[in-house]
Amino acid sequence: MNLKEWIKTLTFYELLLGMKATMSHLLNYKPITLQYPHEKKQLPSNYRGMLALLRYDDGTEKCVGCDLCEAACPSRVIRVISAEVPEEPAKRYSKEYYMDMTRCLFCGLCVDACPVDALGMTQEYEWAVYDKRQLQLNKQQLLAIGDRNFPVREKRLEYQHPNVAYFNVGFKGIPQKDAE
Amino acid sequence: METGIRLGLTLAQIGAVMVAVLLTVALLTLLERKVLGWMQDRMGPMEVGPYGILQPVADGLKLFFKEDIIPAGANKFMFSMAPILSLVPALIGFAVIPFGPDWTIDVGGVDFKPFVITDINIGVLYILAFASIGAYGIILGGWSSNSKYSLLGGLRSAAQLISYELNVGLSIVGVLLLSSSLSLVTITNAQAGGFWNWYFFAWGSFPQAIAFMVFMISSIAETNRTPFDLPEAESELVAGFFTEYSGMRFAFFFLAEYGNMILVSCVATVLFFGGWHAPLEILQGPEWMHGITGIIWFAGKVAFFLFLFFWIRATLPRLRYDQLMRFGWKVLLPIALGNIVVTAIVEYMFPT
Repeated sequence: MNLKEWIKTLTFYELLLGMKATMSHLLNYKPITLQYPHEKKQLPSNYRGMLALLRYDDGTEKCVGCDLCEAACPSRVIRVISAEVPEEPAKRYSKEYYMDMTRCLFCGLCVDACPVDALGMTQEYEWAVYDKRQLQLNKQQLLAIGDRNFPVREKRLEYQHPNVAYFNVGFKGIPQKDAE
Repeated sequence: METGIRLGLTLAQIGAVMVAVLLTVALLTLLERKVLGWMQDRMGPMEVGPYGILQPVADGLKLFFKEDIIPAGANKFMFSMAPILSLVPALIGFAVIPFGPDWTIDVGGVDFKPFVITDINIGVLYILAFASIGAYGIILGGWSSNSKYSLLGGLRSAAQLISYELNVGLSIVGVLLLSSSLSLVTITNAQAGGFWNWYFFAWGSFPQAIAFMVFMISSIAETNRTPFDLPEAESELVAGFFTEYSGMRFAFFFLAEYGNMILVSCVATVLFFGGWHAPLEILQGPEWMHGITGIIWFAGKVAFFLFLFFWIRATLPRLRYDQLMRFGWKVLLPIALGNIVVTAIVEYMFPT
C-alpha cells in the first residue's frame, strides 16, 4: 500500500463515499414505490390478464366449439365439450367450457388460435382467492368476465360481410344478398 | 420520612427515564424503517395511520397478543430467562447517564439531582459491567432454544461481544485518563465551556478522536447492528439467537437491542461530546435555562448518533466472520492500546 491508500484507509474515505451516496438518496427522496392497493399501475393495452369468453352484439356466444384453443393450450387449461346448436344442425357451439386458471400461464396462445375471436384477454389480474377451486371457471363465469370487460361487441359474423352469410346455411334469417 | 421522600423521588425519576427510553425505542423502530426506506428510495411503513406513524403501536399490539411459543426440547427456565437477562441490563445502564446539568435541589431536606438518577463514582465501569451481562441473555437465548441456527447465533455473539467489549473498554480509558474520574457526571462537567473542551477534540491535550472511532465501531459491534450483525444474520441464520422466540419474549430482545443502541449513543455523547453542554457557551442560554437547553443538546447529540446507526446500516454490507474477528483483534485493539499509551504520555508531559 502506498501513502495515498493509507490516507484513504485512515480517513474512512471509502466508507464516507458510500455514506454520501445513501445520504444523497435521503436528501433527494424520490420513492419508486407504488402504494399498490391504493394506487394502481396503468396497464399497457396489450396486457395479458384473465381470460374471457366473448359474445356478439346480440348476445349469442362467439364460441363455435372447435377445440382449437384446447389443442393450442400448452398447460391443458381448457376443456371444451362441443355440441350442435339445437334447431340449427349445421352450427356448433360449446355446450360446456372449463378453464382451470390455477394452471394458466397467460401465454395467449388460445386467443391466437381461436378462429372466431371468441376468446379475449382482459386487464383483470386481482384473482387471488382463498379456495383454489374458485379458479376452476365454467362457461357462465368466463362469459361474465367477458361481459364486464368488453362492453363494445362485434356484430355477428354474418353481418360483418355479406359474403360470409352464404356459408351459414343453417342460420335462420340470413341477410339476403342484394339481388343484382 | 426522609427515606420516603428519597424513595418517591427516585422512583419518579426512574419512571420518567424508563418512559422516555421506551418511547424513544418505539419511535426508533419506526424511524429506522423510515430512514432505511428513504435511503433506499422506498417509503417505509405507510399503512397504519397517516404516513405510517402509528406503526409502533400496531407492532406492539401484535407482539403483545401473539402466542408465546416455547419449542420442544428447549430449556424452559433459560429460555424464559434470556430475554429478561438481555433487556434489564440494557435499561439499567441509564441510571448513571447525566442528561442535564449537575444541579442539586433540596426537596424536603433531601438532596435531589434532577438530571441524573444516581451519580455513582464508578459510572463507566457500571455500564461496561452491565453491557457484559447483556451478552449472557443473547448467549443463553441462543443455547436454550434447541435450534442449530439459534446456537450458531449465540456462539457468534459470544465471541463477538467478548472481543469487542475489550475494545470498548480500552477506547474509554483515554477519556478516563484525561478526566481522572469514572463518574459520568464528573466527566461531563470537565467538558464544559465549548466544543474544543469536548474529549473528542480535547484542546491542550491529546484529542480522543481515534478513541471515539474505535468506541463507535466497537459499539456497533456490541449492539449487534449492521455491519456487525452476525449473531442475527438474516441471510445465514434465519434470525440468529432469537429465531425461536415469538410474542413478548421476542419483543424483549427487540427492546434490548434498541435500548442498547440508545445507551451506547448516550455514553458516546457523555464521554466524547460533552454530554449536555452546547458547542458554544452562548447557545446554552442563561444559567437558569441550562435544564432545558441541556436536555435539548443532549437529546440532539444522542439523536445524531442514533441516526448514524441507521445511516451505517443503510450503507454497509455485513462483514464475514473471520474479517470481524481479525478487525477486532488485529486492528482495533492495537489502535486502542496505542491511544492509551499516547494519551498517557501527553497527559504526563503536559498536564491539564
